[in-house]
Amino acid sequence: MHVNEKDINEQIRWAQINADVLRSMENPRPAYWVAVAVCIAMVSCAVLAEIYQYNTGLGVTNLNNPHMWDMYIATFVFWIGMSHSGTLLSAILHIIHADWRKPIYRFAEAMTTFSLMTAGFFPMIHLGRIWNLYWVLPYVSDRGVWPNFRSPLAWDAFAISTYLSASAVFLFIGMIPDLAICRDNAKGWRKTLYTTLSLGWRGDDRQWRNFRKTYMLLACFLIPLAVSVHSIVSADFAMSIMPGWHVTTFPPYFVAGALYSGCAAIITLFVILRYFFRFEEYMTTAIMEKTCKLTFAIAMVWTYLNLIEFASTWYGHNIYDKEVLIYKATGPYAWIFWTMIFCGSVAPFALAIQKWRRHMPTMFVVSLLLNLGMYFERWMIVAPTLSMAYEPHQFYMMYGSIVQWAIVFGSFGWFGLLFLIFVKIFPSVSMYEVKEMVFHRRRHLDHETAVKFGRRARDAGTPATDTH
Amino acid sequence: MAKYHTFTLFSDFEEAFGALADIRVHKIPGISIDDVTLQSPIEHPEIEEVLGDRPVHVQKFTFFGALFGVTFGFFFLAAAQASFLAQPQGGKPIIPLPSNFVLMYEMLIFFGVWTTVFAFIFLAGLVRKRGPIYSEQVNVDQIAVIIDVDEKNLDALKKLFTKHKALEIREEKLP
Amino acid sequence: MSFKNILENWSAFRKDAEAGGHHKYDHRWGMAINLDVCTGCNACSTACYAENNLAVVGKDRFEKGQAMHWMRIERYWDDADRQFPERGASFLPMMCQQCGAATCEPVCPVAATYHTPDGLNAQVYNRCIGSRYCSNNCPFRVRYFNFYSYYETWAEPLNQQLNPDISVRDKGVMEKCTFCVQRIRASNDKAKMENRAIADGEVQTACAQACPTGAIVFGDTMDPNSAVNKLWAKHEVKRGDYLSKKPKVNAEKRGYRIFEELNVDPSVMYLERVREEI
Repeated sequence: MHVNEKDINEQIRWAQINADVLRSMENPRPAYWVAVAVCIAMVSCAVLAEIYQYNTGLGVTNLNNPHMWDMYIATFVFWIGMSHSGTLLSAILHIIHADWRKPIYRFAEAMTTFSLMTAGFFPMIHLGRIWNLYWVLPYVSDRGVWPNFRSPLAWDAFAISTYLSASAVFLFIGMIPDLAICRDNAKGWRKTLYTTLSLGWRGDDRQWRNFRKTYMLLACFLIPLAVSVHSIVSADFAMSIMPGWHVTTFPPYFVAGALYSGCAAIITLFVILRYFFRFEEYMTTAIMEKTCKLTFAIAMVWTYLNLIEFASTWYGHNIYDKEVLIYKATGPYAWIFWTMIFCGSVAPFALAIQKWRRHMPTMFVVSLLLNLGMYFERWMIVAPTLSMAYEPHQFYMMYGSIVQWAIVFGSFGWFGLLFLIFVKIFPSVSMYEVKEMVFHRRRHLDHETAVKFGRRARDAGTPATDTH
Repeated sequence: MAKYHTFTLFSDFEEAFGALADIRVHKIPGISIDDVTLQSPIEHPEIEEVLGDRPVHVQKFTFFGALFGVTFGFFFLAAAQASFLAQPQGGKPIIPLPSNFVLMYEMLIFFGVWTTVFAFIFLAGLVRKRGPIYSEQVNVDQIAVIIDVDEKNLDALKKLFTKHKALEIREEKLP
Repeated sequence: MSFKNILENWSAFRKDAEAGGHHKYDHRWGMAINLDVCTGCNACSTACYAENNLAVVGKDRFEKGQAMHWMRIERYWDDADRQFPERGASFLPMMCQQCGAATCEPVCPVAATYHTPDGLNAQVYNRCIGSRYCSNNCPFRVRYFNFYSYYETWAEPLNQQLNPDISVRDKGVMEKCTFCVQRIRASNDKAKMENRAIADGEVQTACAQACPTGAIVFGDTMDPNSAVNKLWAKHEVKRGDYLSKKPKVNAEKRGYRIFEELNVDPSVMYLERVREEI
């Protein structure tokens, strides 16, 4: 089957674009409020668990002497990873002028910002003395005390605050022209909000000129930034001397894993938004296919880096590293390891099958499977090394307690809540960029132009065999 | 002589560019292409071609912001480490360059991004009082040409725009 | 002021760990533990609990791995198939090895653990925020975390025997063996007041003091006449990464440091157990 369809209907009227997107922001249906209530309930679980943990001590999480880190850090890495696709893909695709990003980048970038805002909680929650958190920041103190700039955890503080502010700014700057559209159509408190946020945007040539340059510059900053952020997160492990953590390939491995789980999350949200907001005109099957192909490629990169790690451990024959690797595959955590391999390396082959990747419900399930695999991957990085490092007397295995589960569970509610608020207050499809996409495609790709410049071979006399 | 602020809407982009091309070759005396402000719903490089070379300076701010970030980062970290006397750690230097490079890299990007953003808000003329006439259609699918003209040229200009199928011409007398 | 500091400290930068890093050591406290005479009686561990105000966590938390025994006796079984399996037990007293190039130090985000001029790996309880990275990066797993708050509920008569020389730690703080730093400081001050050098044997850690067989010898490895230094020299164990540069002349010498190949430069030398085949 050869499917040659367009990413977007070029004949769509621009007023229709505005109307469709603005419609998605108004009149929440009952299902919306149910979703909000569920998210708030989830967050409440986490808040209760955190209050209990705060008052009692970290012992309630089942952490113990060899297992000083567990699900909190795994979930932190998971959310940081999730944050990578939105901004990184948006920036890369912007620089290479891949215009199919335009209908889907806004919610992907929002996903970045919100998953960072979720991830940021975990290093705090996992601290023994959370009330002294600010000691990690480099502020001038009259005691002459500074954080330890050698520590990867201090790098984390720098990297995450830089990444959070930069990606939030990237999202915001890219949204200014759309906020102006919202301003023109809003009433009441929304009018005040959009008037403030759109900063007096009118679409002057001067504004657009500076806008284009600024957006490009920010994209150029964000690509190395996103790569460095996840490399720094991997440094939390790679900078240590523990077997299974001290791995040279960790930075690229983490970046690939981050892109992977982020792409999977984009697919999930793509299906949800397309269904609930009836965005079939914008989030088209053709764009879904492109996203799936990209995800498949990244999944294979991730698989490759995984195999490289196993192979170098196996043939490197460092007794400690090898022991941990064998323990991962055969020890008590083996079921997690093999689920990870299945979800991370086998399940993505569903993306390679055209019939399946054009079927939205299938893709929804597959993308959730991929992210399950990626969550297990993060957990497999953190915990087994702690179970089995150097000192045989301290070999021990454990699972997290319900307190950890409640907080991890609540983090999904928190992310969902932020995202739900976002889709009703901000346009989740970029209106002005979809117009640009349509405009340029009509100008350069439409039939008359193609005929005029003799772009397509079949226009030179052979009749078109294609149905489209 | 009285001056007028004119605001003309086009729905056909090509016609608007045609009108601007006429202005550029001085079909209307006393009006230069440099006086024209174009408002459009999308960002497209065609604007540049019509309006001629109008410079953008954001990248200079970015460059110096990033430069400041990396130098400030180096001196800030080195000064903090050198003065932090309780920090000695076995086998590790006081001012460790490899780990400082990581942080300098982050600070380069941090300052680079924020100077870019503030330079953008300043140079794009955002958060500033704008002209009195505005149409919401500009944010939908129409393109607007804005020129301040002397009274004597007003009619010639209107005629030109009408010839290029302007949808609507609004004018306001400037004080 | 800080610019001057940068210039001055820059030169300290270029010394490797074997040359002492940027430190000018006054002392380098160290230990020698003779596993041949260790009977695994746990007296050292008990003495440590008494001396250092360690919390007794109870059976449940001990099973969960949340105990806080700074000094622990590790018990290993050599060979399960031997004729008398109970004779195959070996014991290893394990405490913080006060590494010269400690892996726990550089990873602490707030510099709560650092290297003192007398070669100790110090933990500043008040600065600790409980990120627990130090414990994760410790190959010996000898750092203990206060998973709960114990000082408020210290069992009734036992609060009478708390050592006033050191603090009681609250929840959320990492702690570990200090080589009984309160005793080292007291002896140091006394010697300074009497205007003399600190004598060998003047400082005893609680574990060394309590050991009934005298398996633990504590002292200053920089003092050429100290018992511990003589033991180190006798068994050809040196500071730093000496093995990769020059292997031992007599391979039969029993002295070794645990995980020597990780190059963390521990301050504790163990003397291997000699056993006859049964």
